[in-house]
Amino acid sequence: MAPPVLFSEALALGLASGPACIAACGPVLVPSLLTQQAGFRPHARYLAAFLSARLLGYLLFAIAVWELGALASMLPALHMLPRAFLMGAVNILLACVLLWYAYSARHACGQSCSGSKLVNIGATTSHRAAGAVALGLLTGLSLCPPFVAAGVRAAQLPGVVQALLFFTLFFVGTSVWFVPFLGLGCLVRNQAVVTVARMAMVLIALYYLALGIAMLMEKKAYGY
Amino acid sequence: MATKACTPGPAPAAPRSSVRALMLTLPIVVWSLLMFFHPGTNTDWRSRTAAAITALFMTALFFMMMRTHTTYRWRRLFFVALGVLFPVGFIYNLVLARGTMGIPVEEMIAGRTPFCFMPIPTLILPAALTRTIVFPGSILSAGGASSHAIAAMVGLWLALTLVLGKGWCSYACFFGGIEEGMAAIPARPRLRKLDPRWRYGPWAVLLAMALLSLALFEPAYCMWLCPFKAVTEYVAARNLVGLIQNVIFVLLFAGLVIVLPFLTKKRTQCSYFCPFGAFQSIFNKISIFDVRIDQARCKSCNICQNACPNLSLSKESIARGETLISCMKCGACIDACPRQAAVWHIKGTQVALKPERARLMFLYAAWAMAILFGGSIIAQGIATILHFLA
Repeated sequence: MAPPVLFSEALALGLASGPACIAACGPVLVPSLLTQQAGFRPHARYLAAFLSARLLGYLLFAIAVWELGALASMLPALHMLPRAFLMGAVNILLACVLLWYAYSARHACGQSCSGSKLVNIGATTSHRAAGAVALGLLTGLSLCPPFVAAGVRAAQLPGVVQALLFFTLFFVGTSVWFVPFLGLGCLVRNQAVVTVARMAMVLIALYYLALGIAMLMEKKAYGY
Repeated sequence: MATKACTPGPAPAAPRSSVRALMLTLPIVVWSLLMFFHPGTNTDWRSRTAAAITALFMTALFFMMMRTHTTYRWRRLFFVALGVLFPVGFIYNLVLARGTMGIPVEEMIAGRTPFCFMPIPTLILPAALTRTIVFPGSILSAGGASSHAIAAMVGLWLALTLVLGKGWCSYACFFGGIEEGMAAIPARPRLRKLDPRWRYGPWAVLLAMALLSLALFEPAYCMWLCPFKAVTEYVAARNLVGLIQNVIFVLLFAGLVIVLPFLTKKRTQCSYFCPFGAFQSIFNKISIFDVRIDQARCKSCNICQNACPNLSLSKESIARGETLISCMKCGACIDACPRQAAVWHIKGTQVALKPERARLMFLYAAWAMAILFGGSIIAQGIATILHFLA
């Protein structure tokens, strides 16, 4: 069993990495939250679904890195081609979900939303949760720097259970930073807010799409 | 909306006498002399001539505003001149300093990117959370990264914005003039039916770019979406992605700044896309100046709505007696209204009580800013042209 100090380290790493995490998830989370109904409870439900899926993404990653770590050092593995391929694929999937989300939220403003599959404003919770889960899982698989740092540490642990526990505590630490997003529930929802959120989703989706394609093509994301 | 019966509108104001208009222009003459002829400037005949022409141009326009009681057409002359002459001086200086309009990564890292106000809203989140300014530019002539200099520039912008609100977009922005010029060319719009939901475009671009700038620690708008890269500094493309970025810049410029303004007679880049404009709109809530519709005189003819170049009037807002938050205070609606129902207004005062006084107070502040920012740019553009002519 790993010493408690190691898990304190996981929690501290999560807390310290929180700003980077909300920065990474913000482009996905903020516009999608703005298409929800106003109020604390709908936002809490959405955020819970998003974070749960994100935790699932973390745990999947924890298993993967521990397996990799058992074979070799984490860092060379991350610099191999599959990383670019994985991130490219995740970015493209994220873009597709966001585009579908923006399309599905077209009826968010007081009209029928029977046609939407992922997002269904004002309808059953399960429909709303699907979009949150898809986005949470995909952002949970993103290899942001603190996430990679946690991965390197987890790969050094003696067992997969410890690696899972390490990532769970890391997740708890980062999740504290997501609480302020509940404040978006206080914003009024009207056609303007939902339309802005949908348009922003499309722009962000296009950005992720370009980024994903560039990664798959092994091109640098910047033209400089 | 049905037209309604109302009291007859007042007769249009008679032109002021030249002497009175000149008296009202005197403060602007003094300000122009201060701005264009202060010690240490105008070291050669070209810059002296350019400064004289610009000072004369700016004071003449203000004089005409005073004399005719109209604002929009005179302001438009200044604004189009600013939009056209800005790239002239800017590109010339870029080529002098760098030998090319393309900006490579080494220049960005060294902080030698010329400062631009457009990314200000997208700098705020990274600066607040990490105390880092992600825009790699400088306002120092010698170049070099200078967060303090950028912070000072932001402070100056903020002070002016608090007074004028989104008036910045009509009196200081050096990007809007080209599209305003294009919109002025056709006699009638060819595209009339515009979905009002596109008005939310600038807010969407602002939200997306602010979030992406925070996520990626790069000025996302400058790197991917700025239409004006096409006429200022472009990406020194070294691979396919850089080429795609430049293609995006050119397509956005051609579509939003050239073609759509010509077809719609509107400032489409400002109305549908500019994130800085959306950010400026917020300050319209703080600014003491606004434009109001006097309900006692308004006949709901919607002439003002059609005249607005920025889609800042809707039937609902006219019925409420106010403009939308995106109003740029250009004066087009006020000049167009045949019943003088659209008026300049100072918040906290009675609507249409003394609109000319409100107009004067606004114009002094706005024109002083126009001379400060736009005047120097126009003078630089003229000096560049003289350099090539002589």
